[in-house]
Amino acid sequence: MRRLLAYTQQALSAPPRNPRMAVVIGRLLAIAFLLCFGTGLYSHFLQEPEPWMRFSTVPAQLYQVTQGIHIAAGIACFPLILGKLYTIYPQLFQTPPVKSPLHLLERASIALFVGASLVQITIGLLNTYQWYPWKFGFREVHWALSFVVIGSLAIHIAVKLPMIARFWTRNSEGTRELRGETAGGETSGETAPDAAAPVAESAPVGGITGRIFRWIDGAPSAEPAVSRRGFVTAVGVSTATVVALTAGQSFAALSPFNIFAPRVKGTGPNALPVNRTAKAAQVLDTAVSPDWALTISNGPRTVSLTRAELLALPQTTVELPISCVEGWSQMATWKGVRLRELLNKVGADTAQGLKLTSLEKKGGYRVTQMGPEYAFDASTLVALEVNGDTLDIDHGYPARMIAPGRPGVLQTKWLSKLEVEA
Amino acid sequence: MKITRVILIVIGLAGLFLGALIMVQKERPDQILGVIVWIGAAIIVHDGILSPLLLLLDVWMRRAGRRIPFGVLAIVQGGVVVGAIMSMLVLPEIYKKSIGTKNPTILPLDYGLNLALFWAAVALLTAAACAIYLRRRRASSPASSASID
Repeated sequence: MRRLLAYTQQALSAPPRNPRMAVVIGRLLAIAFLLCFGTGLYSHFLQEPEPWMRFSTVPAQLYQVTQGIHIAAGIACFPLILGKLYTIYPQLFQTPPVKSPLHLLERASIALFVGASLVQITIGLLNTYQWYPWKFGFREVHWALSFVVIGSLAIHIAVKLPMIARFWTRNSEGTRELRGETAGGETSGETAPDAAAPVAESAPVGGITGRIFRWIDGAPSAEPAVSRRGFVTAVGVSTATVVALTAGQSFAALSPFNIFAPRVKGTGPNALPVNRTAKAAQVLDTAVSPDWALTISNGPRTVSLTRAELLALPQTTVELPISCVEGWSQMATWKGVRLRELLNKVGADTAQGLKLTSLEKKGGYRVTQMGPEYAFDASTLVALEVNGDTLDIDHGYPARMIAPGRPGVLQTKWLSKLEVEA
Repeated sequence: MKITRVILIVIGLAGLFLGALIMVQKERPDQILGVIVWIGAAIIVHDGILSPLLLLLDVWMRRAGRRIPFGVLAIVQGGVVVGAIMSMLVLPEIYKKSIGTKNPTILPLDYGLNLALFWAAVALLTAAACAIYLRRRRASSPASSASID
């Protein structure tokens, strides 16, 4: 068994599979992970704020950018993590498989790190087109796994810190040893292919495995410099390509190159993509009911306004993006009544937040909160029109909320009630 | 370095603990089992299927391309890698579109056609890169040009 592991490790050795490469790709992957984590935390707390939290309403595109980065960095993780795993794959067959309880713990933590990271980016990707072929809750698990991944990353860096330091730069001690610039001394670090114990030529493995190994050994060997350069180029080009051909769903500058993203700017009713349809929200009847009126209340003070009454109030036009948690976003021109003017009608204080209720029958975002920083912002509207037309029913007819820098799920559609919170 | 490592491990353990805590608070035991199965499956798919396939492909290409300059092989492999990774991201979209999406603005493109065009572009660029590589190689060492074809 040990011999088989050693053979496998040797058969897997390849020029790019060295610790310097693991450090180079690992750094990029760590940056992508941290970008995802930071923007993910921001998105999470926007949706589930602690009572003391206040957020910036400027620039209006803030969430569009942070969530666009979240998704683009997540997509970039695919080539980066595959590249990183490629550099260290022979480590899977290290001999002896377990040296000590601590070593077992280290290997188990790496297995968790790798598995959790792969699951995290995969379910995140599938969520961008609302596909959930599993029975667990996406939001909860994506949230929990983010801590598992970042925690495992911290532990992994701690364990590998001496190695990372040895291969940090082109001129670090370990990197120069890899290039064979320093005479003598033990070569490279633990993941170096040369470090794999030399397998005795005299004791070949028999049977099918033996034949496979001979088949592998019989192949002409790779040219190290070309192989390494090719590897870095392939990972770099893959990363640039997957981002460039999908990030157009979030960033207008890239939208001409958007041939693979799940969302395309300018599609859908009112030239705007839809997240949840009126049908899915079960508001097809209530939203077009002639009895509809928006109720605004502050304790005992209540005002009720029909759509005609809302249209008769002073109208304001703003340019604000719809920015979805799933990463896509789109600028649009909204027309409607300033929310703060409606709140003044019930004597709300600028320190008070709001509770928004939609006509939706059910769903996690039927009732949401809005902090005073958004409620009293001059560009926050109860929108009645978008892009020069009446709101489509799928975009929240008869009235929806639109505020700067908030996730799309909080831009409540099919508004029913606005309650000022004490 | 020692202090840094200790701090990182403390942060790491706190992260793992928090992740586990959220998991047990928000998910049912059968859902948690589902997550564990997914994590295990991810490791098996990568370590047990994808990576060995990649090795076989690499060895096969080196054996089949004995008489082809290694640089050309490396460029072709690079092209295959770029195409394969893009396909990995797009194939699930094609499948999901075929079984239906929640509304027509999700997955509105013809992803199959785009992927085919993408592979054609990759093939074209790979061929161009090979041609440039071979021309440069021939220019730098005229003597070895005979062995190329």
